[in-house]
This record gives sequence, C-alpha cells and structure tokens, in this order.
Amino acid sequence: MADFSHIVQFFFSGLTSGSMYALIAVSLVIVYKVSLLICFAQGEFFVIGALTMVTLVSKGLPMPLAFVLSILISTVLGALVQRLLIKPIQNAGVGNLIVMTIAISLALRGAALLIWGKESHILKPFSSGAPIPVLGATLQPQVLWIIGITIVVLGMIWLFFEKTKLGIAMRACAENRLGASLMGISTDKAALLAWAWGSGIGALAGMAVAPLLFMQYGSGVMPMVKGFIAVSIGGLSSIVGSVVAGLLLGTVEAYTIGLISSKFSDTIVFSLLMVVLIFKPSGLFGKG
Amino acid sequence: MKLLKQFWWIFPLAFIALYPVTLAGGSPYWSGLLIFVGIYVILAVGLDLLMGYTGQISVGHAAYFAIGAYTSGILTAKYGFSPLGAMVIGMVLTGVVAWALGRPVLALKEYYLAMATLAFNEIVVTLIIGLEWLTGGASGLRDIPSFSIFGLVLSNHVHYYYFVWAIVVIVIACSLAVVRSPFGRTLVAIHSDEIAARAFGVDTAKYKTRIFVLASVFASMAGSLFTHYMGFLAPDDFGVLTSINVLVMLFLGGIGTIYGPILGAFFMKLLPELTYQIHDYELLLSGLILIVVLVFMPRGLFGIFTTIWEKMFSKADK
Amino acid sequence: MTDTRDAILSVQNVTKTFEGIHALEDVSFDVRPGHIKALIGPNGAGKTTLLNAINGIMPPDRGHILFLGSDVVGNSADKVAGLGLSRTFQLIRMFTINNATVLDNVLLGAHLQFKPTLFESIFRRRKVNKAEKEARDKAMELLRFVGLENAADATPGSLPFGNQRLVELARALMTDPKMLLLDEPASGLNDTEVEGFTELLLSIRQKGITILLVEHNMKLVMNIADDIVVLDFGKKLAEGTPQAICANPQVIEAYLGTTLTECRFEP
Repeated sequence: MADFSHIVQFFFSGLTSGSMYALIAVSLVIVYKVSLLICFAQGEFFVIGALTMVTLVSKGLPMPLAFVLSILISTVLGALVQRLLIKPIQNAGVGNLIVMTIAISLALRGAALLIWGKESHILKPFSSGAPIPVLGATLQPQVLWIIGITIVVLGMIWLFFEKTKLGIAMRACAENRLGASLMGISTDKAALLAWAWGSGIGALAGMAVAPLLFMQYGSGVMPMVKGFIAVSIGGLSSIVGSVVAGLLLGTVEAYTIGLISSKFSDTIVFSLLMVVLIFKPSGLFGKG
Repeated sequence: MKLLKQFWWIFPLAFIALYPVTLAGGSPYWSGLLIFVGIYVILAVGLDLLMGYTGQISVGHAAYFAIGAYTSGILTAKYGFSPLGAMVIGMVLTGVVAWALGRPVLALKEYYLAMATLAFNEIVVTLIIGLEWLTGGASGLRDIPSFSIFGLVLSNHVHYYYFVWAIVVIVIACSLAVVRSPFGRTLVAIHSDEIAARAFGVDTAKYKTRIFVLASVFASMAGSLFTHYMGFLAPDDFGVLTSINVLVMLFLGGIGTIYGPILGAFFMKLLPELTYQIHDYELLLSGLILIVVLVFMPRGLFGIFTTIWEKMFSKADK
Repeated sequence: MTDTRDAILSVQNVTKTFEGIHALEDVSFDVRPGHIKALIGPNGAGKTTLLNAINGIMPPDRGHILFLGSDVVGNSADKVAGLGLSRTFQLIRMFTINNATVLDNVLLGAHLQFKPTLFESIFRRRKVNKAEKEARDKAMELLRFVGLENAADATPGSLPFGNQRLVELARALMTDPKMLLLDEPASGLNDTEVEGFTELLLSIRQKGITILLVEHNMKLVMNIADDIVVLDFGKKLAEGTPQAICANPQVIEAYLGTTLTECRFEP
C-alpha cells in the first residue's frame, strides 16, 4: 500500500507532467483560436526545442544563451511552417489541413531522426543542486524551474493578449475575422504570430522537461496527444480551461500510474478522452 | 482505342497473375513484397471508402488491422483454431466493435473525430502491450501457423501470394460496386453536405456507420492475412504511425478514387526497395511526399494519370 | 381562418431563441393543401429559421408543427423528408465532392424511394441497376421540366446561379413530395427567368403539390401566392390575401414601404 511520501511523490510527478501538458495545451489553443487549426506537429516543436538546446549546450554555449537561441529557432521554425505550408492551402478544407499538420509532424520528426539519431539525449538541469526532500518525497529542482517557467509563460500570455495592442487585435481576429482587419492586423499576420507563439511555447515545454526525461526524436508524440486530451477536456477555445485540464490530467495520470497500474495508465487516459469527446465534446469549460 | 478504355484493367490483372512466375522468378522476397502491397491495398481501399467517399477522417485505421491480426494469431497459435475460422471470427469481432463505436464516434466532427479515432488506436495498442498473457505483449506473439483452407496449407509463398491477391481483387471489386451504386452516391452526398443529405431523407448516421463497418472488416481481413504471412506479431506494426502510413498512401495515390490508394500502396511499399538503405529517411520522405501532394497535386498520382489519359484520348478522337 | 384540420401544414405557437434573441416568437399559421403560401419579411425576420424548424434541421424551443396531422417537432430532418416534405436552400447546397454532376444531385432525391443496402449494392446488381435506370429516367424528366436536360452531366458549380436554383428545384421534386419548402428560389434570377420560374411553380401546383415559398421578389409573390404570411423580428405581423397584405398599414411601414409598386397588380 502506498504511504504518504509516495502520495507526495506522485503529486510532484503529476505537477511536472501536468505543467508540460498545460503548456502544450495552451500552445494548441492559441493556434486554434486564431487560425482555427489544431496543429498535430506541436509535439515536434517540443522535441526540436529540447534537442536544439542539448546540441547548443554540448557545443559549449552557456545555458541561458542556448535557452534563448533554442526558443528563437523554434519560434522561427513555427512561423516558417505556417507561412510556407499552411497558408497556401488554408482554403482547402479542414480534412486537408488536418492531414497537412500530420504531414508536417512526419517531416519534422523525420528530420529530427536524421539530425539527432535514435539515441536519447539528456540535458543538464538548469540549476545544479541536490534534490530537495519534501514531506518524505524528493523534489528535483528542475521541477521548480518547470513550474516557474509555466507561470511566467502564462503571465506573458495574459499580458500580451490582454494588454498589448497587437495581442488584443489577435484576439479580435479569433472572434471575428472582419473586425480584426479593421483593428489593424491582417488575418495572415495574426496566424503567423499565433504559430510563432505556439511553436515557441511548445519548445519551451520541451526544454523545461528535458533534464527529467530521455529525449529522442519521437518523444514529442505522446505529449502532443496528451496536450490535445487536455484541450478536449478543457475546451478548445479556453486557455484557462486547458491549463486546468492539463494539470488535472498530469495529476490523474501520475496517481493512476502510481496507485493503479502503470501498464494500463495510457489505456485509461485514452478511454477518458473518448468518453469526453463522445459525451461533452466542447469540454468542461468550452462553449457548445 | 475504345476497347482499351473499357478493358484497361486486364493489364494490371494479368500482371498480378503472372508476376510470381515472371518478374519475381519464384523468389520469396519479391512475392513477399507484393503480398505486403496487397495487404496495404486492402487497408488503403477500405480507408478510401471511409475518408475519400464519406468524408470521415480516421487517424486510427490500424486499430482494426490489429484486431483482425491478433484475433487470428491468438486463436490459431494458442487455441488451435483453423486460420479460416479465426479470420472469420476476427472479421465479426471487428465488425461488432466498429458498429458499436460507429454511431457515437462518427457523430463527431473533424478534429474531434480525428482524435477519437487516434485514441481508439492507442487504446487497442496499449491493451495489446498490457495484456501480455493473451497477446505476448511487447515481445510479440510467435509460432503462428501458415494459412490453411480446410486442410490445404498455404505455406508456399507463391500459393499464399495468389490467395492474398484473390482477396485483394475481391475487395477492390466490392468497393467499386459500392461507390458506383446509389449507395456510393449517398456517401458522396453525406461528404459534400450532411445537412442537405438529411433533408432528402438520408439517415446519415446509419450510412456512416455501415461504411465504417465495411472498412474495418476489410482491415481485419488484411490483419489476418498479415498474421499468417509473418508467423509472428508485434504491437509496433499496429500503432498510429501505421495508420498514418496508410493515410499517406491514400493521399499520394489520390483520395476518393479507389484506384488511387492502390497506386499509393504500391508506391509507398516499393519506394524503400528502390532506395536501398534509406530506411532512416523513410519518415522524412513520407512527410515530404504528403506535403508535396497536398500543396501541388491534391488529386494524387491517379489524378495525374487520368489527366494524361484524358489528353491521350482527346487527341486520338480528333 | 383555415380550419386546422384541413391544413396540410399547421405551424402552432412556434418559438425559437438563440442566445437571448427571439428568432421566432409565437408564430402560427396554416397552409391549405394545394395552395401556394408565401412567407415574406425583412432580412433577419426569421424566415429561414422557420423553414429549418419545419423540416427538422433545427427544431423550435416551443410550439407544434403538424404536417399531415401529426406533430413533426423533434423528428430528424430525414424523417420529415420521409413524410413528404422537401425543400430548397437559400444558400445553394449542392453535392460537389468527387465531381458529382447535376444528374447525381437530382438522383439523390430518389433515395427515399429506393434505399439500397450495402449487401444489395454488391450482390444484387440487377435489382439495383433496374431501380437506378428508373430513377435516371425520372431525373431526366424533371431536368426537362426545369429546362436543364442538357446540363445533366455538368458539375453544378459550372452553372450560372439561376440554373443551380433550378437544379435544386428538380432535386426537391425528385422525392415525390406532398409539400415543398422553397427558400428564396428566385433570388439571383433576372426578370425573364422569374417569369419562367413562375410558370414552373404554377405547373407544380397543378400537380397538387403544396408550396410554402420564402421570397423577397414581391412581383413573383404577388403574382402567384394564394395567401401571404408576413414576419418581422420573429413575430407574425400579418396574414391574408395579397390584396389584404398590400393594404395593411403595418406591413407597408415595416417592409413594403419602398416596394409599393408591386402592389399595383392585375387581379
């Protein structure tokens, strides 16, 4: 039977993966709100951000510089993908767009395989330090980084979309395409920015958890899918909902793995997704 | 020229019939390759009925491939069932599952439908890995016997080749019959505009479910054929990546044409042969191919063929 | 007022609210069999919402809709179609995937008469082919009726707007309906086309098919309607013969104000 320290340990695992899912979910929602697309390739930005940072650090760059550069590279990559691959077929119908994002995910993953091979790569934690004992469980310092980064990202999102002209215009774009062009932003530019945001946040999530996970070219698939599960539960157009759902999902998953079964935790999580999709597809917070 | 237009299908059929004794020269490697192609043709054609004609996106078609494959594998290797019987049981089981899932899942739209199909694929794979005592788990299921029909064992690869392709031809013929009939027209109507279709009396949920069951049963058959050829099964072959590979074949060949997916399956399975050790490039290549198709040739290879074909015939008519 | 028992369609106290706005508020009227009833009103008055409620695409929140005596509220659109109600759409809804032709579109109307199963489509080809031939003959007949028999193999998108509306009409007639709901079928037609269209509607009425017609083209309405219902902001403003409607001061104020000329017509 699990004792209290285990309960606490599971909580920390849940917080870690939950933050990861929350960030990915938020990046999916931002892209969706502005360009009405769910990007299946989001998991690849997650991986590419992390592996880029690994490479840069291994080449001798100081961590903060590698951190910033990796975000930049991923953001630019996301913007390029939107401009070169999404924009040309944006009127092609939802089915084709879904398949295009799947194609992009394949291509990016294939490229990652060629660049970084099949091996797993480990990133050094952002700060050196011994694991912190808390209530009988151990807390890796990196987890604090993850939580901190998540909070900062959410804060930046709030600031940008609520307080800056550009951000407010982008939100208007999401609500009403005609209105947005009157507010000084073209739908094209808004979509580009949304993808940049999305890939940047996705990469951040990857970089933040990289010290705790073994990252390899295919490590982005599951986080992306779980991020989507969070979005489905939280509501496709609700940032707050996705964050809450992501944290909830991570926590539920951690406790399921720890207390019930680690073999079938994914089965349970995916079944939960199907149940939510069938019975309340707009999510717990979303509109109908 | 008119004769050519009407009976063009004799050529591919002759090719299939003569291939093992001519080009393949009796080599098990080359017959094996075309056996794989045949299995994927069944998968792709089934998916085309569902996605190309009825417009229901599925990113988890491999789930039904898996159910058929593992049912056949488990029943024959562990319980001594006859392969034919096991295959039929697999088809029935898959059909029931698809029928039960059909109504709630197919009521979903676009992204939600895509995610639901993906989720079910993952559920099936995680169950295969988790239920080790039944499926052999991640290490796989072994010692699966060759296919046999009422005692006649098809262990010879050429015999099995003909058996597989006989089924492939039947699947293609059935699919063509469906899409060229009023049923097919109804599917296209549902794809184009579901609300309008309903306004003319179409019970769209019923039609979507039925074609879904058909596509899934085809996939199950393909799974059984796969099982008895391989002799062993591993869960890796049945994940979302496989589903996506079938999707790539579908789009590359030309979605919504039945013939397109056949071309797509040939191309995608034979491509690695032409490019030798480019195994590591496969992932990138599939993605790039799909991107190119979506941007530059949405009608796929078959679309290009028909354009050339029509140009040829309009020149001949002059 | 019509005795409801004689009516082929009886709309009773139908109400539909969207996010606080009353799209339809307590609308009631009857349509007598074999009549042409026009439903007019300014844009946004709720006319299409009403048609969607009648044929089951979007049921009302309150009220009853009796078609041939039984309440169809809550029936899905395909069930309502099965009872004999067919329609055209304001924003044309053609089937276009896989290069569907005009004939393919009209042929869908045969679905109600012959619903082949998967099994039949594969194994009972002769039965299917026979039914298909009959359907094709009927579809060509209808295309001849609307004057588009030469367009049978064209794709709907390649036809001018007015002709697409005629294809919609042919498709609606294919189901052998007892009643037609037409949503702005003359919009986009020029005067000559409207005249031809008027003839078509009169022929349809002669066949005994009842018509509920939503229209903005007042000339067409005045020429052809047996009686008219006027909607404004979701409420029924007036109901009566064309003469009565033209004389109604509320209607003139709300709607006909600028189109008073159409009211000067020969009885």
